[in-house]
Amino acid sequence: MLTFLKKDLLLFWRDRKEVLLVVILPLLIIVVLSISMSGMFDGDENLNVDLSLGLVIEDQPEEAIEVISNQISMSGKIPEDVKDNLINSIESAPPVELLTNALMSPGIGDWVTVKTLTEKEAVDSVENGGRDAMLVIPSGYTEQLLSYLYLGTENKPELSFSAKETSFEVDIIHDTIEGILNQMNLQYALSLSGTEVDMTQIQLPEGSTESIAADRDFTMGIDQYFTLSMGVLFVLFMASTVATRITLEKREQTFNRVTLSNAPPYHFLFGKTCATFILAMLQIILIFMGSHLILDVFSDRTMMFWSGLLLISIVFSLAVAGLAALMTSISLRIKNPETANGAFTGIIMLFGTIGGSFVPIYVLPDWLQKIGEFTPNGQTLSVLIEWFHFEDLSLIWLPLTVLTVFTVISVIISMMLYPKRGEVS
Amino acid sequence: MIETIQLSKKFKDKTVVQDVDMYLDQGESVGLLGPNGAGKSTTISMISSLLKPSSGDVKLNGESIIKNPSDIRKVLGVVPQDIALYQELTAYENLKFFGRIYRVPKDQLEDRIQHTLELVGLKDRQKDLIKTFSGGMKRRINIASALLHQPNILILDEPTVGIDPQSRNYILEMIRRLKVQNGTTILYTSHYMEEVEQLCDRVYIMDHGKVIASGSQSELLSILSNEDTISVQLSKMSPPLAKEVLALEPVRQVEEDGDTLKIISKKSSNIISDLVRLADQHQVKIINFQMVNPSLEDVFLHLTGRTLRD
Repeated sequence: MLTFLKKDLLLFWRDRKEVLLVVILPLLIIVVLSISMSGMFDGDENLNVDLSLGLVIEDQPEEAIEVISNQISMSGKIPEDVKDNLINSIESAPPVELLTNALMSPGIGDWVTVKTLTEKEAVDSVENGGRDAMLVIPSGYTEQLLSYLYLGTENKPELSFSAKETSFEVDIIHDTIEGILNQMNLQYALSLSGTEVDMTQIQLPEGSTESIAADRDFTMGIDQYFTLSMGVLFVLFMASTVATRITLEKREQTFNRVTLSNAPPYHFLFGKTCATFILAMLQIILIFMGSHLILDVFSDRTMMFWSGLLLISIVFSLAVAGLAALMTSISLRIKNPETANGAFTGIIMLFGTIGGSFVPIYVLPDWLQKIGEFTPNGQTLSVLIEWFHFEDLSLIWLPLTVLTVFTVISVIISMMLYPKRGEVS
Repeated sequence: MIETIQLSKKFKDKTVVQDVDMYLDQGESVGLLGPNGAGKSTTISMISSLLKPSSGDVKLNGESIIKNPSDIRKVLGVVPQDIALYQELTAYENLKFFGRIYRVPKDQLEDRIQHTLELVGLKDRQKDLIKTFSGGMKRRINIASALLHQPNILILDEPTVGIDPQSRNYILEMIRRLKVQNGTTILYTSHYMEEVEQLCDRVYIMDHGKVIASGSQSELLSILSNEDTISVQLSKMSPPLAKEVLALEPVRQVEEDGDTLKIISKKSSNIISDLVRLADQHQVKIINFQMVNPSLEDVFLHLTGRTLRD
């Protein structure tokens, strides 16, 4: 297998045009996009614009709190010594209140103007451009959320976020709300374990204050967002780049020569898979390091942050390698190489779109967002953003596991699809 | 050594190869002759275990290779019609890669590469990328890649297509040496008659997926023993004249080649006076007239009514 790996790496290295394309082009795009949109940011890379959010509260938290408090009191699953503390937490800081307070807190309220509206008012103001976005807290939200967190019910409630069109303003508001919700859920979960948590406010990382996340700055800069999203997208393209080379090996009959050599069939496949992993790793490292050197996107980050970034890069590169294996096997079965190449580029573009590499995923329909969560780039981008904000391993281990499962399944399917003798088209 | 039994291949409803029976003995060189699309490449793809036959069998030393192709792959070297090399790698890197996947022992690989490069006369170009080579040089490395594991049987699928006469002669001489010095069994496909005549002990002629004749060259030429081949050089070609010559009773075939008519007629039939008369009628002068020894090309023409390059 090492022979195949060496050959594939050597072939890639010899194709200088391709090498420049996979490393220089993403860096160029990141720099150009960052500079062209840098007017949105001041020297400290903090938001310099006034964003506006319409908040629609349909929930009736009082009734829900009473119901949940009773259920907590009667629950046999929650330790007795924690029950009073939990009920006090809920009563003193209901979720809706925590959320609205966080949105209007000095750290966020300085650049996001939140106004409570009826649904119709909110829809109209977003529609006529008066507000950047609207957030709806649906009826039953408090009860469903607390039941999910404390009583183990299955349905996690969701807030409805909508905007007329995608923009960086909208993107930033969405990320901010997502960060608040993650932190709120974490604090509620910690209170269940008996840990003493100040539930009167959401402890958002702010300034030099040490809190749960080690971020100095909660808001992600535009250059940082592009580094992550474009980095992930271009690395994803590595899968189709490798698969496209198969068509050349088929056309020039080198694949037939390999088949006739009696080499174990999967060595060819695993050679491609390992080569893709190595190339994807190198690519993502070069993009991140290049962006950092040019734009200083990861300044003053801890060793922990860099280690996590490396871990996420490794897992994502494995997923891209799995995808390349799958595309390799499919490519060997498809008769028309142009069809295969077109289909692979289409799949990558689709993954890029529904995975949020081109546009933020919340502008897409819900069902598409759900699918997007399962794309390797969608998962990775979300993990990178979480890691960038919070450096909290507990937030990323699950998506990383999903990515690993994706890799394993892709490799297994690619082995099943790998053509037997006479099946190469 | 190798034999095919009723070997057939269908792609969807189209039969590309039909009931081909062939055999190759140890150390002999066999030509597979036929025009483009005759089914030669498909036949050798099945013999080399690259393609599964729709029906029939391929046997190596009496054992079927259909279910277990690894036996034949160990002793077989295949030179495909296309240049099956990595264009972005050097000649040396290509040979090293194919040598490794053919499991040439590590301690012998370097010697084998250098020996093979010497054989194909490209030792001094080993560090150059394949894409910088001429067509003839690429063909030679294409052959070298199939020789590294020292195969007992070598299948060459039109190895001289599209190259200059000098490279062509080099390749033919190299194949001859492989046969004589190493005793390599050779299956050589071509639509160049003269190559097959030079290299092969026996010949199979294929057309439309079937073997239409086989045997040694003398056996095949004896097919034409009842016929004369006459070459008539004219002052200018006249298709109406050719048509009228074909209409003569003893004439079987007429082929136009520049200003020359190649006529196959019944043995000892006297058509000269008729030819002179017809030429006169069409106001064409006969410059030269000779009886020629028949070639395999004439055999093919006789069997199919077409030339190999049609």
